[in-house]
Amino acid sequence: MKDNSNISQELLETIERYYNDTMSKQERSDFELKLDENPEFKTQVEDIKTLIFGIENQSLKEQLDVFHEDILEPHFESSSASGFFTLRKLAAAVVILLAVTSFWWFSTPQNEKLYSEYFTPDPGLPTVMSSNSNFEFYDAMVNYKQGDYKDAIKKWESIHHKGDTLNYFLGVAYLADKNEKKAIRFLKKATQNSEFALSSEAYYYLGLAQLKKGNVEDAKTSLKRSNTDNSKALLSQLNN
Amino acid sequence: MREAYKINHQLQLITAIKANNSIALKEFYTSNYPKIEALILKNSGSQEHAKDIYQDAFISMWNNVKNESFTPQNDSALQGYLYQIAKNKWMDVLRSKRFKTTQSLTDERTLYLKQDENIEDDNDGYTKKLNTTMSAFKDLGQPCKDLLKTFYFEKKSLREIAFELNIEETSVRNKKYRCMEKLRTIVLASKS
Repeated sequence: MKDNSNISQELLETIERYYNDTMSKQERSDFELKLDENPEFKTQVEDIKTLIFGIENQSLKEQLDVFHEDILEPHFESSSASGFFTLRKLAAAVVILLAVTSFWWFSTPQNEKLYSEYFTPDPGLPTVMSSNSNFEFYDAMVNYKQGDYKDAIKKWESIHHKGDTLNYFLGVAYLADKNEKKAIRFLKKATQNSEFALSSEAYYYLGLAQLKKGNVEDAKTSLKRSNTDNSKALLSQLNN
Repeated sequence: MREAYKINHQLQLITAIKANNSIALKEFYTSNYPKIEALILKNSGSQEHAKDIYQDAFISMWNNVKNESFTPQNDSALQGYLYQIAKNKWMDVLRSKRFKTTQSLTDERTLYLKQDENIEDDNDGYTKKLNTTMSAFKDLGQPCKDLLKTFYFEKKSLREIAFELNIEETSVRNKKYRCMEKLRTIVLASKS
């Protein structure tokens, strides 16, 4: 930029019009002609254009920081908004859940409630074993532990010689599979042998199965023969 | 038909950007940031890097739209262009900071980076002038700065500005001229 070349207000405004493309056709062609013919004029115009461009560039640069704050803000806003939203959703969910559970509580028989309060399937036996004589039993145990009761039952049912342990797990599996009738049959078999290590557990699940079927008195009798803590707790609730 | 609409939309976007339409600029700025941030974060950059690179790229894109060295070919052309500039700028940073010493540039890579240099302002003298003006404007007194920004960047008319400042239109016009002179003097002084 040449500092000796003064730029008049008029020239500035002419350049602005040129830059903003607001010149008339005539003015523009005159202006462009002058640009071509007069290098000094051209330099002046270039200098002013650079000034305007610089102002715009710097303004934009500063503006971008303002925009940028709004990139972060929507994050906050949306997260707090969605937080608020989920809170509302959560509240609604709680209300619905309360309504459903209270409906369930008042509409389902006491026995069902106690049953579902107490029933959790036996955790099963460890399946890390090498003896392949019992392969089928432990293979099914894997299914059982994965909650795949139907497959477990199928595999266990196919074993001909059914010992106490097998009867016991078949019973629990049937119970977990919501087949109380069969559960009772196998659990009864499992309780025949008083020497059976899981006898107390067998009586407990038998009691649960009977309770589920609505045979409260049978359930009490079974539970009395079991000495697990759960059996005692359930029994005392049934007696109340 | 749909293609025509898309290009039309893209042209509208470009017209709005050229006019510094703040809504369009903001929308374009905020909507394209996440993709570029993700790119830089994924490639050993920080959020601070992402912001710097993105703003740099955004200004380059804006300049190239302004001086018409960019014309859209399809609907996402400008978005893709912005992304490409940011990506190349980040590659540049990676190259200069760490990779230059540990990893020789393959021909392919150099070519890639050279393309990037072509995208940017190739006129060194001009860039220098522009930078001088920018820093002069940055440190200009607030009243002048506000006035020039409103007029040249926000493209408000003298009348609008006069109305907002509650002064005569002629005095806005005179003030604007004096502020330009002031800015010009600073630019001339800072150039040795």
